[in-house]
Amino acid sequence: MGASPTTLRLTLHVWRQASRDLPGAFEVHHLEGISVDMSFLEMLDVLNEGLTSQGREPFCFDHDCREGICGMCSLVINGQVHGPDQEITTCQLHMRHFADGDTIVVEPFRARALPVVRDLVVDRSAFDRIIAEGGYISTDAGSAPEGNALPISTAAADEAMDAAACIGCAGCVAACPNASAMLFTAAKVSHLAQLPQGEPERERRVLAMVERMDREGFGGCTNERECQAACPKGISVAHIARLNREFLRSSVLGRS
Amino acid sequence: MGRCHVLIWLRRTFGSSIGSKALMACTGLVLIGFLFAHLGGNLLLFADADGAAFDAYATALEHSPLLPLAEAGLALLFCAHIVLGVRVQRANREARETAYRVRRTHGARTPGSRTMVATGLVILLFLVAHLYDFRLCRPEGDSLALIVRERLASPSGLVLYGAGVLALGLHLTHALRSALHTLGLHHPRYEALVDRASFLLGFVLGLAFLSFPLVFFLGGAA
Amino acid sequence: MSPTADRRLDGRCPSGEMASRWTRHKFDLDLINPANRRRFHIVVVGTGLAGASAAASLAEMGYRVSALCIQDSPRRAHSIAAQGGINAAKAYRNDGDSVHRLFYDTVKGGDFRARESNVHRLAEVSNQIIDQCVALGVPFAREYGGTLANRSFGGAQVARTFYARGQTGQQLLLGAYGALMRQVHAGRVTLLPRREMVELVQVGGVARGIIARNLISGEYERHAADAVLLCTGGYGNVFRLSTNAQASNVTASWRCHRRGAFFANPCYTQIHPTCIPVSGDHQSKLTLMSESLRNDGRVWVPSLAGDERPPSDIPEGERDYYLERRYPSFGNLVPRDVASRAAKRVCDDGFGVGATGTAVYLDFADAIGRDSRAAVEGRYGNLFQMYEMITGEDPYRVPMRIFPAVHYTMGGLWVDYNLQTTIPGLFALGEANFSDHGANRLGASALMQGLADGTFVIPATITAHLAGRTVEPVGPDAPAFGEAEAAARERDERILSVRGGSTVSTLHRELGLCLWNQVGMSRTEQGLREAIGRVRDLRERFWNDVRVPGEANHLNPSLEHAGRLADFLEFAELLATDALQREESCGGHFREEHQTGEGEALRNDEAFCHVAAWEHDEGGAVRHEEPLSFEEVHLVTRSYK
Ligand SMILES: Cc1cc2nc3c(=O)[nH]c(=O)nc-3n(C[C@H](O)[C@H](O)[C@H](O)COP(=O)(O)OP(=O)(O)OC[C@H]3O[C@@H](n4cnc5c(N)ncnc54)[C@H](O)[C@@H]3O)c2cc1C
Ligand code: HEM
Ligand code: FES
Repeated sequence: MGASPTTLRLTLHVWRQASRDLPGAFEVHHLEGISVDMSFLEMLDVLNEGLTSQGREPFCFDHDCREGICGMCSLVINGQVHGPDQEITTCQLHMRHFADGDTIVVEPFRARALPVVRDLVVDRSAFDRIIAEGGYISTDAGSAPEGNALPISTAAADEAMDAAACIGCAGCVAACPNASAMLFTAAKVSHLAQLPQGEPERERRVLAMVERMDREGFGGCTNERECQAACPKGISVAHIARLNREFLRSSVLGRS
Repeated sequence: MGRCHVLIWLRRTFGSSIGSKALMACTGLVLIGFLFAHLGGNLLLFADADGAAFDAYATALEHSPLLPLAEAGLALLFCAHIVLGVRVQRANREARETAYRVRRTHGARTPGSRTMVATGLVILLFLVAHLYDFRLCRPEGDSLALIVRERLASPSGLVLYGAGVLALGLHLTHALRSALHTLGLHHPRYEALVDRASFLLGFVLGLAFLSFPLVFFLGGAA
Repeated sequence: MSPTADRRLDGRCPSGEMASRWTRHKFDLDLINPANRRRFHIVVVGTGLAGASAAASLAEMGYRVSALCIQDSPRRAHSIAAQGGINAAKAYRNDGDSVHRLFYDTVKGGDFRARESNVHRLAEVSNQIIDQCVALGVPFAREYGGTLANRSFGGAQVARTFYARGQTGQQLLLGAYGALMRQVHAGRVTLLPRREMVELVQVGGVARGIIARNLISGEYERHAADAVLLCTGGYGNVFRLSTNAQASNVTASWRCHRRGAFFANPCYTQIHPTCIPVSGDHQSKLTLMSESLRNDGRVWVPSLAGDERPPSDIPEGERDYYLERRYPSFGNLVPRDVASRAAKRVCDDGFGVGATGTAVYLDFADAIGRDSRAAVEGRYGNLFQMYEMITGEDPYRVPMRIFPAVHYTMGGLWVDYNLQTTIPGLFALGEANFSDHGANRLGASALMQGLADGTFVIPATITAHLAGRTVEPVGPDAPAFGEAEAAARERDERILSVRGGSTVSTLHRELGLCLWNQVGMSRTEQGLREAIGRVRDLRERFWNDVRVPGEANHLNPSLEHAGRLADFLEFAELLATDALQREESCGGHFREEHQTGEGEALRNDEAFCHVAAWEHDEGGAVRHEEPLSFEEVHLVTRSYK
């Protein structure tokens, strides 16, 4: 098997915070026998099991699908959103990326617009409110035309899909030096702006969504591109450029 | 209708995060244009040994009826750019109330992008000193070329102007690509090209402006 | 326990010509004037495809809706994880597909254990679903000419599956979520994320609201309503390890079952043959990999039990390509359940590979040798990447290790044609009900069913229900709410007060292991009886020895998990009992006593051509039967010869 060990000893510094309004702090824990085949969240499960057995409270962290699609898991691991690997979520990160004896600092996503709820859990409802402003096409059930009535080029469908792949995890916000939600907002605006179905609401949508994004207290974009680099779905900042274009076009030339 | 409407529109558009960044980008791009003009004029310093060409250019400028207008415009551009920059920066800083204990980049940030505010502030300080040197505190009637050479030949001149233009160069490595992106001008095909052009712009303009203090300092020492 | 016919089990299916039943039924249903609809408040529990589409559609009609989900956003419901696609009978490919063929395939695929009327309706509205999703901006794959693309899925002979890369469920759910958020913005839907329904509230026998725990504050909230829709998904996590999301549970259904809703066919569970195997006790979830891998991969195990050599060191002569050996004509492409059972058998016999001995090899060496690595990469590149990310092994060089895993549950709350449970005013939609897939679900049909139920069926049927009844208004102060809230609160307090020595995860793991071994893909009478005993023991252990730290008045995931496990522990007994009583093999239910010489499932249509619907009783669940009759599709035995 060579030199690489199959189990690890780790020192964890994990953020503990009882509630939104109370101050938090790091807690240090030592783990042994962590299998390299575990996912990062399974490693935290082991930590929590140990705490529970000792009669102490486990750490709260968000997760659900554990396969990188629901966008529920979060975490900043040693200063990196979703850990050191590219284009994966925390739940897809495996312990073989760490070395025996490593110290791992686990923090919640940090942004004013994503307040900590408890420990590593943050409140991402701002994203829902941004979508509620217009991240959809207003068609009631029953009023849809035949699916093939609107031909859409594969290029447009592909690019729309690239943007629509966003899982809403808020990693972009957490990674951005300005805690900006531009990539998230851009992904939805860009997805819908490229489809003919999105055309009727195109101007209204971008103006309303950007206004809400600003009101939620996110920062602005300074084109650092950290969001793209941290995004588990590899969503491109090209969509941010399109958002800027859509916003400026709708503001300056728009009919509303 | 009318004024009220326009005001609301202005506020909504340029008060927004994207709108204010767009204004910064526009002002920044025009300032880049100004830098080229400024560099063109400065290069006359190398045209001859006694600075006659440069002085002639300076005198022509000073007597141009358009100068006050251009100066006012420039001042406005700078002020707008700076005020917006500081405001944007403050808002961005406030967007993260608690800092991370450990912060590691995913690799996308550049030295230029990381330091926009710092380089901007250095440029600002430099600008004040620069204006003080050559615009506000200049003895009447002397050859401007001579004054410039003397100032740049001094160690303090080298340090001040060296630092100023280096900061400027660094600022510009991120500025062009950022501004184009902010204005929505992006295409995957040209992305790498624009990145390189932006870096090159900062590098070339920085070096070009650096050449003045370097040449005069070394020349003066020799 | 003798079967009893029960008038509560009237399926209310329309009669007459199959193709026009739904249309005629809709005409017969009562309506409510648009202006009056806002007088009605409907609670929708769950925001997966079924719940999000129902909440949005009902709000569009003018009803006031409250939508709850466990996750922090409705967009994260488990539907998001579906990969393959969604079926519809559009017949765009000119390959002979039709509504009737989709209907036929689904009835047959369900091994003749579903209602024909329901299935026909599903096939009928499938086309409208695609139209609606396109209108909502779902970026389905397209042909170069700009029209919608299709693929053939799960062995279907026609290409009727619509897809958005490998993320169809995500895109469909985001479409439904968008429609829902639009109604939230319009003020017609109140969004209640991070809530778990813990009790149903009935007044005069009618469902009039729920108690939900606010998972952040721990408060027990009362939500009064005129009707309650359960869209809470499947119960696969009773096995602990499954392809389901961690929060998937049976709690909402079980709470309703305990209050009178019948539970139908709990033993129908679907197992998927190509999942990434368990790597150790720490395992929390099993990841599904597309079945298409079996088109090119060859399944084998060492011929020598317990052989621990790495696969490359095992010469060709010492490998057992057991599927090719046992099923020479179908080889590696035998149906899902056959492949799954064969894998389990070789592992039970000690031939399994990998650290835990519960895996078989899926080897692409021949395919790579034959078609080149690039060709294989073109076909399965993403899957290979995912495999490598999880296991750390390169499947281009080392054969993949695969094992079956629990994937979908066909059983659920019993509902009639109107999707109403045996409790008036309580409806169940999507995977939470039992209605359309019989004993086995075809690939790409669950998404279709969730959207059909939510977008097109429930708007019609709930309107008729609300129009056709007169009940007095009920507010959250009604005594029934107080009683239900107290029950929920007391349950949590009881769990917290045990402070024993076993963690929730440990107990859940033990439950899962027991069910997987004895109530999994292959069941025997003896095993089922043992399992029932084990489940009872575990239940007792839970209530005497569970350890849940913290309190109820804050975010407490251990408490949530404990509550769900408590219900799984009750439900598991019903699941095993149902499997025990169903003395036949059909679809996802395989009883070793009932198989042909070749190991094929043997149905017993004489005795079991019915839905088993269970009524809760503290003294032991009571089994009822709803007979099934087949008018259009004739009962035949499955054969893949
Ligand atoms: C890996 C995988 C791949 C799949 N691929 C396909 C495919 O390709 N095609 C296909 O057709 N099907 C597929 N399926 C099946 C399909 O995804 C599901 O059957 C379907 O999405 C279920 O939808 P639903 O709306 O009924 O429930 P879900 O999407 O499971 O939603 C359940 C909702 O209920 C909420 N909830 C649950 N309990 C409570 C409670 N007590 N209180 C409050 N809220 C509660 C949850 O928060 C959630 O919002 C796949 C399934 C899996 C696991
Ligand atoms: C000749 C001088 C200058 C030029 C040519 C210039 C140019 C630019 C350009 C083109 C941008 C990019 C705008 C965008 O992305 O939208 C920019 C950004 C910025 N500039 Fe300047 N600038 C100059 C001076 C200054 C000064 C004096 C300050 C003082 C504070 C400053 C502060 C900033 C800040 C804070 C940003 C935003 C950072 C970012 O978006 O990443 N700049 N500048
Ligand atoms: S838990 Fe779903 S993306 Fe990580």
